[in-house]
Amino acid sequence: MTVLPTNFVPEPLATSAAATVTLLAPTARFSLRVWPEDRARLSAALTLELPVTIGQRARGTAPDGTEALCVGPDEWILVAPDGAGPAIEAACGDAYCDAPHSLVALPDREVSVRIEGPKAAELLTLGCPRDLDALIAGQGRRTVFDGVSVILWRDAAQEFRLDVWRSFAPHVLALLETGCRELALD
Amino acid sequence: MTDFRVPGRGRVDHDRPVKFRFDGETIHGLSGDTVASALLAQGRHLMGRSFKYHRPRGPVAAGSEEPNALIGTSRGRGRFEPNTRATVQEIFPGLKATSQNKYPSLKFDIGAVNDRAYMLFSAGFYYKTFMWPRSFWDRVYEPFIRAAAGLGVSPDKVDPDHYASRNLHTDVLVVGAGPAGLAAARTAAEAGLRVTLVDENAEVGGTLLSEPQAMIGGQAAWDWVAAELAALEALGVRVMTRTTAIGYYHQNMVGLCQKLTDHLETPNPDMPRERLWRVRASQVVLAQGALEKPLVFDGNDRPGVMLAGSAQTFLNRYGVRVGDRAVVVTSHDSAWYAAFDLADAGTRIAAIVDTRVEPRPDLMAEAAARRIKVLAGHTVSGTAGRLRVKSVRVNRVSGGTVGFGRQIDCDCLLMSGGWTPSLHLFSHTKGSLKWNETQNTFLPDHVTEACQIAGAGRGLWGIGAALNDGAAMGAAAARALGREAEVGTTDVGNDRPGTGTSHTELPTDRSAARARAFVDFQNDVTAKDLRLAVREGMRSIEHVKRYTTNGMATDQGKMSNINGLNIAADALGKPAPQVGLTTFRPPYTPTTFGAFAGYHRGTHFEATRKTPIDGWAEENGAVFEPVSQWRRAWYFPRKGESMDDAVLRECRTTRESVGMFDASTLGKIEVVGPDAVEFMNRMYTNPWTKLQPGRARYGLLLGDDGFIRDDGVIGRLSDDRFHVTTTTGGAARVLNMMEDYLQTEWPDLKVWLTSTTEQWATIALNGPNARKLLEPFVEGLDISPEAFPHMAVGECTVAGIPARLFRVSFTGELGFEVNIPARHGRALWETLFAAGQAFDICTYGTETMHVLRAEKGYIIVGQDTDGTVTPQDAGIGWAIGKAKPDFVGKRALQRPDLVAEGRKQLVGLLTADGATRLEEGAQIVLDPKQPVPMKMVGHVTSSYRSVAAGRPIALALLEGGHARMGETVHIPMPHGVVAATVTGTVFHDPEGARLKL
Repeated sequence: MTVLPTNFVPEPLATSAAATVTLLAPTARFSLRVWPEDRARLSAALTLELPVTIGQRARGTAPDGTEALCVGPDEWILVAPDGAGPAIEAACGDAYCDAPHSLVALPDREVSVRIEGPKAAELLTLGCPRDLDALIAGQGRRTVFDGVSVILWRDAAQEFRLDVWRSFAPHVLALLETGCRELALD
Repeated sequence: MTDFRVPGRGRVDHDRPVKFRFDGETIHGLSGDTVASALLAQGRHLMGRSFKYHRPRGPVAAGSEEPNALIGTSRGRGRFEPNTRATVQEIFPGLKATSQNKYPSLKFDIGAVNDRAYMLFSAGFYYKTFMWPRSFWDRVYEPFIRAAAGLGVSPDKVDPDHYASRNLHTDVLVVGAGPAGLAAARTAAEAGLRVTLVDENAEVGGTLLSEPQAMIGGQAAWDWVAAELAALEALGVRVMTRTTAIGYYHQNMVGLCQKLTDHLETPNPDMPRERLWRVRASQVVLAQGALEKPLVFDGNDRPGVMLAGSAQTFLNRYGVRVGDRAVVVTSHDSAWYAAFDLADAGTRIAAIVDTRVEPRPDLMAEAAARRIKVLAGHTVSGTAGRLRVKSVRVNRVSGGTVGFGRQIDCDCLLMSGGWTPSLHLFSHTKGSLKWNETQNTFLPDHVTEACQIAGAGRGLWGIGAALNDGAAMGAAAARALGREAEVGTTDVGNDRPGTGTSHTELPTDRSAARARAFVDFQNDVTAKDLRLAVREGMRSIEHVKRYTTNGMATDQGKMSNINGLNIAADALGKPAPQVGLTTFRPPYTPTTFGAFAGYHRGTHFEATRKTPIDGWAEENGAVFEPVSQWRRAWYFPRKGESMDDAVLRECRTTRESVGMFDASTLGKIEVVGPDAVEFMNRMYTNPWTKLQPGRARYGLLLGDDGFIRDDGVIGRLSDDRFHVTTTTGGAARVLNMMEDYLQTEWPDLKVWLTSTTEQWATIALNGPNARKLLEPFVEGLDISPEAFPHMAVGECTVAGIPARLFRVSFTGELGFEVNIPARHGRALWETLFAAGQAFDICTYGTETMHVLRAEKGYIIVGQDTDGTVTPQDAGIGWAIGKAKPDFVGKRALQRPDLVAEGRKQLVGLLTADGATRLEEGAQIVLDPKQPVPMKMVGHVTSSYRSVAAGRPIALALLEGGHARMGETVHIPMPHGVVAATVTGTVFHDPEGARLKL
């Protein structure tokens, strides 16, 4: 049984010839909710075009800019470098009167891991019932892993990020660690 | 012992001998053998004893349909498995196999006395024989029956193996890698689709492994299989062997069980034993082939009596002749080829007995060329031999009259009653079947899933027919998915297509009532049992099945269903299609519990949610309890303390100085938007409009039935933003309920809900010294009593960490709840705990929290309520905003039943002796002297020893309780009746002065 860092210090958690799982450092993270008619105003505030198709992502123009993932018809996950939170809150706050919305800071709700390696996608099939071939690089999904709700970002063919609520992380990470070992045997 | 191995024959490796043990004896087999083929190679057919009669049994089949040769296998400590099919278990050095259902030995078994008494053990004998006296059933009859019957011995150790599971999406899943399946996979893959091909055998090829004589497109069958396999792999087809499609579920989800290590001598310990695949396929091609049907005649179960096709498999695939002198009895052409193959390999064929009067001339000619005697228009009326068949009794049938029997000596009897398409998976989909008159069997008819059935599985006979149909069905699957697919025709030489007729029991000149003519070998069901069931009034095939156990259990009627149906239909005097077939159920073959459980065992059985402070609690000796998925600190015993000691100390310290509590598991929902306050007004009973930002209020949530669903303290952070808390267990439910109303009832409201439960770690400080402890760490907020009164909320930093601070109390003491981002939870906890030493701070767990709140009469939803309690019942009618036009549950609260007098209401109880603590859940009566059954008027919901009250206290739901103040009620318990006085629910500081410190 893997011992997971209870303090969630970023570090490699499991590695094998099949895949490597690394705990990532915290980032700024928000849930943004806004009705379609006010989306453009928020896009302007965030200097990125909030995507309208579920699963699509967009990134702000600045280097390390804010990244938005559409997870519902009026719902986006925003991710930005740690420390960028107050600026995002301020920018959206200025738009609130014109474009009412909900922006809730969630930097600590989830922890994130990177899953990469030659069998990264296959590793995810241990717990994710979705067709991962349909999740193309550069997209993301809200889905489940081993019965736990997660946000899954595909950054490259064999590179994923997985966000999971903090208290579920040990359960999810334990299976990823088991899978790293198992897949290396195939 | 005679060697029945044919040198150079089969797919076993003659240069790689493998030793294993069977019943303690060393057996020499070859790499590629199964336990059955290795034993048969030594001339041993006897492999087990039957279920009910303990009759000697040997393999009747060569594959997973085998009903008889069930063995125990042991692969090392704790790795014992009963009821493994000897025809499936591959041998490896070190395998220990044992026969089953025998005592003291396989060759001499005391339980075989059941066989002598077989007239007593007819269908339903349990119900008829063991009726009286009734009291004997539980203690005498049932234990005896269970000990005497049964199949194998259950493992009694924890399974040391581990199991895996995967999800797989594929365009086309092909089940069965015989000629039809291979061709289907090839066609679909060439159309550019993702294809998965599975087969339960150790290698692909299916029937081609048993028919090497076939020439496919000019290639020998086995060369063709190898070439096809290479081509499939080059096309990217996922080919999985030792993988059984166990169940076909809704919307083309198919469960596969892949066996990974059972055939290995020294598997890598990290390798799972089995893997369960959950496959979602856009199209499924079922190419499972057909199963050979036994003939039903007296003595058809003796070791040495075997399906002809299986004998052919043992010869061609394993290089084993199943005997030296064979008699073949058949109603189908296919068995003739088995006879010819065996004859060519050196087995003497004493006779081919065909029930048909005029067998095919070309077969007759081939038999004549081999000097095989043919008895056409004959029947078999019995066999002889104790542990192995030694002769068969054969009679001529002419004009419906069965002539005298004559005996033919043999050491094996090969039978064929024709072939039954394997309909199991198709049957799982509830696809309908249609009776085929010429083949006398059911074939797939109406298809309910995105599925094609290919080859012998839909009644096509012969390699060429199956192969070309497979290609066509692979193309059909591809076209259904919008692809072009080319289908050619492959020529197959040396093919052996054939036809046959079907029988119920074979005709006999002997008394049918005394015949031991088995239909279901595994469950020891005879033709006589089936006819008896019909005579005794069973009309539905489902009743016949259950009365006789025909086709039940692990076998799922692979061999018995059609014979059983034909006999039952005959007994009922109805055509078979009117009687119908029983349902095949998953799994197709027995599957381990481990495979179903997968990774979910031990510490990974279920997610155990832990708070950021959990680690500290563990290091500091907390005892935990589960609360929904969370584990929470229950109490913090010091050395030598019992639970009661610890809880009393924690209560005392908190009331006298300060205690700290990890409240992180409380559900939290952020409600944001211009319509936030309107939404809150509609959801909760309380009024929210006048609640100022910076203030908090107790919120009560009802269902539309008016009953309490949840509660919690809710803070207004700004005009448009609320911080809602819920109960720990209610967090997800409340958010779902809110979303449900928002999306379906009030989609016009501009308000959004976000779960923030895990964003925050929550530390509760309670006790008269709480402010003294906290104040030095707070910046950006004045928390003096005047500036920050009870039920206030504000944003600040605590020890430099940004925080949402509530002044709130669930203990009746001065209390604060500090919410900080989860990553800082433990650090702040440690900081406050260190600083709290100056106040003799204690940490407390959920038990003390429960006691402290009960002393104040604060309810816990789900403990003091049970889904039928209204706010008035619970004594919290004050939480209802009377002036509000509406809220969820408002109209229900006006229903006559909900305003009626005498409802169960929440009250306090104090035991009359001042010392007895009541038991939670105990029932309450008004008159303890009334006759049993007494009228119960309520029950105890919460009960604790209370330091503050100086005596045990309890809360209870009591009929008309609010009008019974001061009355005495009674709680009957096993050790006597306890009297208690009805009181209010507040036992401590009724004025609430301590909250205002």
